[in-house]
Order: sequence, then C-alpha cells, then structure tokens
Amino acid sequence: MVKTFERGVFLPHYKKFSEDKPITRLPLPRELVIPLRQHTGAPCRPLVAAGDKVEAGQKIGASDAFVSAAVHTGLSGVVREVAKRPNIAGEMVDCVIIDVDQGQEFPTWPAEDYAGLPVDEIKARIREAGIVGMGGAAFPTHVKLSPPREIDLVVINGCECEPFLTCDHRLMLERADDLIEGSRLISKVLGGPKVIFGVETNKPDAIAVLEQKLVKEKDMELVQLDVKYPQGAEKQLIYAVSGRKVPPGKLPFDVGVVVQNVATAIAVLEAVRNRKPLVDRVLTLTGPGTPNPGNYQFFIGTTISHVIESTGGLQDDVVKVVVGGPMTGWAQLDLQAPLTKGAGGILALTGEVTQVTDYMACVRCGKCVDHCPMFLYPNYIGVYGELGRYQQAEQWGAMDCFECGVCVYVCPSRRPIVSFVRRTKKAAAERHRAATRQAL
Amino acid sequence: MNKALNLQFSTSPHLHSQANVSTAMRDVIIALIPVSLVATYFFKLNVPFLIFVCIASAMLTEVIFRKIMRKPLSLHDGSAVLTGLLVALCFSAATPWWLAMVATFIGVGLAKELLGGLGWNRFNPALFGRVSVILLAPWITFLNNEFFHWRVSFPGIDTVTQATPLALLQMGLPLPNMGTFFFGYPGGGIAETSSFALLLGGAYLLYKKHISWHIPVSMLATVFVGVAVLGQNPFFHLISGGLLLGAFFMATDWVTSPITKKGQIVFGVCIGILVVIFRIILAPTEGVAFAILIMNAFVPAIDNATRRLKFGETRTPVPAQQGVPVQKTS
Repeated sequence: MVKTFERGVFLPHYKKFSEDKPITRLPLPRELVIPLRQHTGAPCRPLVAAGDKVEAGQKIGASDAFVSAAVHTGLSGVVREVAKRPNIAGEMVDCVIIDVDQGQEFPTWPAEDYAGLPVDEIKARIREAGIVGMGGAAFPTHVKLSPPREIDLVVINGCECEPFLTCDHRLMLERADDLIEGSRLISKVLGGPKVIFGVETNKPDAIAVLEQKLVKEKDMELVQLDVKYPQGAEKQLIYAVSGRKVPPGKLPFDVGVVVQNVATAIAVLEAVRNRKPLVDRVLTLTGPGTPNPGNYQFFIGTTISHVIESTGGLQDDVVKVVVGGPMTGWAQLDLQAPLTKGAGGILALTGEVTQVTDYMACVRCGKCVDHCPMFLYPNYIGVYGELGRYQQAEQWGAMDCFECGVCVYVCPSRRPIVSFVRRTKKAAAERHRAATRQAL
Repeated sequence: MNKALNLQFSTSPHLHSQANVSTAMRDVIIALIPVSLVATYFFKLNVPFLIFVCIASAMLTEVIFRKIMRKPLSLHDGSAVLTGLLVALCFSAATPWWLAMVATFIGVGLAKELLGGLGWNRFNPALFGRVSVILLAPWITFLNNEFFHWRVSFPGIDTVTQATPLALLQMGLPLPNMGTFFFGYPGGGIAETSSFALLLGGAYLLYKKHISWHIPVSMLATVFVGVAVLGQNPFFHLISGGLLLGAFFMATDWVTSPITKKGQIVFGVCIGILVVIFRIILAPTEGVAFAILIMNAFVPAIDNATRRLKFGETRTPVPAQQGVPVQKTS
C-alpha cells in the first residue's frame, strides 16, 4: 500500500535527465576549497596552515564541541591558505584551500573486520569520519545517534522528493547491499530498533532491488510512498510511515524515531568498515541547461565550476544555476563556491523551468493554507513578515516553518513567503540575543 | 568558462505552478459570459452598454487612484475589469449609466484602492459599490433629475419593467413556472435572468479550482433549509434574486472570504441565515448583497475563531519542555 502525509503538493518530476545515468567519478580538480563549517553546529578550527602538505583522508579541521563534525581532505596536496570564501548561501566562511597534487590515484580505504565492534567504537568512528546528514540539513550524525531516550524506529529516507535529483535513487540501485548494511549499523548503535526504508514510487527499480534483498531481513521493511512534495521532510516522512506526529518544536527522537538519509547510511558503513572519512559524495548535475546530466561522485571542496567545466559547460540558455534541489536549493551568482557534504545537486535551469518575477499583494486565495504540510498560515506569515511585524508572523507559525517552498510554489501572486519566513526567524534570533544580553 | 554568465538570483523555491492572479480573474470573467449573453438576449444592447460603462469606469477609477497615490498601475491583474463586470451584473438593464458609474467608482475607488488595492480590501468592491448607491438614494435622485436627458436606452428596455420574481412572491401574485425561471426569465437584475447560466459559470470555476464548494454549498443549503422551515418554496428561493450570483461569484471572492475551508463553511452558513432574514422578514431588495457585505466584516473574526492546529499540535498544549539536549547552535 502506498502511504503519504497530509497536504503538500504534486510537482513535475524532472528526473528523466539523470535517473538512468550510473554514478561516475569526476576528474581530479586543481584545487579543493574545504569549508570548516559545512554542518549545523560549531565551526571547526583549522588543523593545518599555509604551506603544509596534506595526505588523502587527513583531518584538516576539528572542534571540541559535541555538535560539530570534523572535516578532512579527500586528496593529497599543499595547503595554499586558510581564508574566508563565500559558501553556496553567500556567507563568508573559513576554508582550507588546497592545491591538489596532480597525477595522484584516487584514494582507497581497505575494508576491516568490524563485526564485533562495540557500539561506542562504532559511534567514535562515525564521529571521527565527520559524517553529517547528507539529505541537505547536514546535522552531525553522531549527535543524532546519541538520542536522550529510547528509539524504537529507524527510518531510512530514500524519498528524494525534490524534483530533478536522482543521486539517492542511484545509490539505492547501485549500492543496495551497502545501504542495508549501513542501516543495520545505525540500528545497532540505537539498540536494534526496526528499520523502515521510505521510498517514493517513482523509483520502481530501486524499490524492486531493495525489496528483493529485504526479504531475508528481519526487522527491516520498505514502505512505498506517494510521489508528493515534501515527502522526504522528516516530520512528514515519520508521519507517513508510522503515523506518529512530531509536535511543534520537538525532534524526531521525541517520538522514538531517528531518520537517516540513504547517502548517510552508506557513509556510516564506510566510516565503520573502511575507516573512511566523509571526503566525497554523489551529486546530480542536471537540468535542461547542461549537456551531460548525470550522477557524479566528487570530493568535498570541489567548486561548482569544476563540476560544470569537466562535464561540458553550460548551455547558452541557462538562466539560473542552483545548488541543491529546485524547491530548497540556493541560486548561485558565480560558480566559485565549494560543494559541501550536504550538496546533492547542481541544477542548470532554463527560462522554461524557472522564472524570476515580481510579486503582488496577497489575494487570500488560501492555496498556501490548503497545501502547507505543517498546517501553518503562510498567507499571514507572508503579509506580516513583509511588513516587518515579525511577532505577528511568529503567531501564525513562522517558527515552525521548515521552508519547503510549497506555499510559494502554489501562490498565484508569486509571493516569496520563504524569504519572509527567514526574515522573521532572523528577527526572532536577534530579539532572543538582545534579551539574553539584557539578562546578563 | 569561456562565455560571460548572466545568472538570475532569487531565493528558493525555483519552481512555480502556473497559478496566476490574472488567469484566475480571466476565468471568472469567462464564467460570467453565459449570463451576460442571456441578459443581452432579453434586454438587447442595454446590457453590453451598461457592462461597457462599468468596466471602463472601473479601469479609469483604478488608474486615477493609483496615479494620485503614486502606485504602479495594476490593470494587468484583471481585477478592475472583473469588478466592473460584476457591478454591471448587479444592476437592472434599465439602470441609468451615471448610477452604474457612481457605483463602480465607489466600489473600485473607495472599497478597493483606498484600502490599499487588490488584496487589502475588506469588502467585496462590486457589492460595496452596488449597495452604496442604494444607501445614497437621496443624492442619486438629484443625479437622476440633473442627468435625465442624458439617459441612453436601446430597444428592449420595456421588458425590464416586469416585476422581479421575488416581488411577485412578496405580493402574492402568480409565478411563472420553475423551468422558465431556471433557464431564462427577464425580471430583475442582469444576473437574475438565468440561473442555468450562473450555474454553468459556477461549475466552470469549480472545475478550474478557483473556488471550492464550501461557500456556495453551505450558503445555498442554509437558505434552502431556512426558507423551507419558514414555509416558502425553497427551490424558488434558490433560483431567484442575486442568490446564485452571490454564492458563486461574490461570497467566494478570495480577498473577502475566510482563509480555511472550515471558516468558509461558517461564512457560508452565516450569509445564508442573513439572506433568509432579509428575504422573509425585511424588504426583498439586495438581501444577498447586504448579507455578504455584513459577513465580509466578520472574516478576520472567523479566521481567528476557526484557527487550525499546527502539524502535531494538540488542543491542550503540554508545558514546553526545554530539556532537549540537542540544540542547534547556529
């Protein structure tokens, strides 16, 4: 039976460009620009300085904070400098910039016997490898795997509900055994709860492969999910597969659930079995504006321009380049930003697919209210957020918005409600800081 | 990269549905074509003339107000054209053009533009204009006297002098048969000529998903039950007066109706109750228009009262626990 959540929206899929393209490696880049903060949490301090030689897999940034994730270089080379660079969101972040040794082999990490490892050692290896959620939010995985209460369900997120993206689809298809083994490790760390794989029905080949392999697995099952956006959002996914609702302001473990993306589960396996740090991942380069759409494995710190140049450049009719999915990704003005652990896609979009238009006043049609998967009032949040009346925007639910973009998608006035939500959250954070200062 | 990039920037999302205010307005206008044609059949050129006067004055009013307030012109959103058309449809075909013009001016100028333009108006502009000229009757008499010789009328106007069906009912006179009423009967306002044509338009709007069933059904059902309880023929009430125009085209106005489906049902039921009161107890003139305008004023209250819970929220909130050890630090 196909399950789903309430509300949301049916989007065009746009997966045809790349869903049949096997994962391939990109050629060696000349440089790596590795941000010291690619995750939710405390930034790392650099462990290397200009002029240092670095080896493939070497840790180059670390933090003592628990909510943080170490960063490593996937390739050997020489540190050119440690300097601020704009990331994909346009923020200036500290980066380690490495001139990559040309002519090196792609690094490998041999498998070790890991069958008898105690849970603490497994967790330590995951933390050491700097693994974060690879679905986009980039929350450190070792933190998620240290919940303060009992977990009785692990959900492996194979929805890939954003249009265009197919890298998780390909991973499920090509690395199903690793995915299942990684998921088993995740379950083991959490005390052995049941595992559910949630996959949208537009990936029938991946579903077939996984279901066939899961036949012999106890405590693991695959749940087919309707192709509806945002099916892969944590709260919506948990509700669809288990009927549990995570209350506002709470996290999945408050209802006994941990959600991990498929790429993360594979990275966990590699960290434990091969002691491989998270130095590469797969992204989908796609869209009508790229001559060679596909699913490409790249080293963290590769710039957008390297991906695009080594795959044949952009076509002339490209109007927008987006990192991430089309609903939540970041538009790029230049292509120099480095790709991080959370980057699942580069979209080369043409005017047929995306248009930047002016917006009008809210006409209260109610479409955003009908479709909001969090049952908020995007119309009021937008109106008050635009007027700068942030506290009223909060009263209508701005702080519970996870910025999926459904409201903007359906809006006939094309109002940038997600921007108004971000403004509201920023204002709330500033107010909170001011209040804290006053209290001190 | 060899060529210069000229990339656009915007915040997410980067996809957009085809939903568009102008398209919606256009579809509502299309939905009103059948009833306009039926009325034209009965009242000849008087109908297109009045519609032309109203649409032209609506557009002119919007341009004038926007110029004065130094705002960008917004004729392309189609709302001025639609408001003009709706005002015209509320009148009888014998209405002098200056009266229709004044109503349109008040509707578009005062009820919409002065309140901030499309989206900010609290009251349905067309109904506000229509009702204003009723309330301004003494002043209108003056206009009627001054401008009497400028009256424009085309052949076919005699038909208009027929009593409206609701007036016939009120006076206890014999009524024409129901089928005639339903498909086409030249009594009352332009939009009262054919219930069939209005239902056709309403069905089109439902099909196009510009409106949902909640307001029309709750409103019509309430009137149906209400008049039946009070001993009158409910079918007759459904198809007479401005009820169908109000239910499908006025009460469903996005801007001036509640935002949730639950609120829309409350709204429709309340309008229905008011219509019954106006029709049975008070004089049978523009009861629907008054009922909708009165409820327009309560829309914010309805929105608040029917406020829904967020995803995962419970009616009795447990005191927020701050004990979640994993706090996002950035």
